[in-house]
Amino acid sequence: MTRNKLYVFLSAACLAGSVWVAFAYRHTAIEKSDFIVCLFKRVTTLPCPSCGSTRSLLAILKGDLFGAFMLNPMGFLLFAILLVTPIWILFDVITKKSTLLVFFRKGEHFLSRKWVAYSAVVIVILNWIWNIFKGI
Amino acid sequence: MDAQKVDMFIMTNSKYFESYQLNSIRERLISLDDNRWVMISTVQLKDPTIYLIISILVGHFGIDRMLNGEIGLGVLKLITCGGMGIWTLVDWFLVMGLTRQKNMEKLQPFLY
Repeated sequence: MTRNKLYVFLSAACLAGSVWVAFAYRHTAIEKSDFIVCLFKRVTTLPCPSCGSTRSLLAILKGDLFGAFMLNPMGFLLFAILLVTPIWILFDVITKKSTLLVFFRKGEHFLSRKWVAYSAVVIVILNWIWNIFKGI
Repeated sequence: MDAQKVDMFIMTNSKYFESYQLNSIRERLISLDDNRWVMISTVQLKDPTIYLIISILVGHFGIDRMLNGEIGLGVLKLITCGGMGIWTLVDWFLVMGLTRQKNMEKLQPFLY
């Protein structure tokens, strides 16, 4: 994936995510989980590993960090990505560097190591099981 | 390389590549030296149909992207509920082309 393609894609994704969070912030119905956008949950009625992250993000925005962790720890990861990526892309575009691309490639390389990949899969599956038991 | 051998390769592997790439692959293979044949015939190519099935069944978790070598995007797809379902739907239509493109990238170093 080339630099510009990745940057356009990531900025579009961040924009969509931010718009979605802003929309959810104003419509509390989403917090009561009767507004399901997750395809997997619609089909199987079971939550997917990242279900509940919108509510987790909203809890972070309201300052309830423990509640956010109990909803879905992935919310913190998403919050960090949504916060850092636009600034990083802006920095790269202004200074005409590609530090984010280099970081992305290094991250992919790191994740493709065997023990990292296995532990990441185990963490995601544990989170998934926790999600199902919580009935997110 | 022998034209008959190349035609056999093209016939058995045509589903792994985009149709517009086949002609250039054939021409490159014919102009290649014969001792490259062993290398080229052992390249592991991925079947786009299998990837379509993977995408339909577990594409929601980004598995199709990860198996295609785009680990970063796969992880992004996983942690965003498959891009809130939209990315999953879009990838059902893109994954076969992506797999063929990755196959071409895999074959490229042996052709030049």
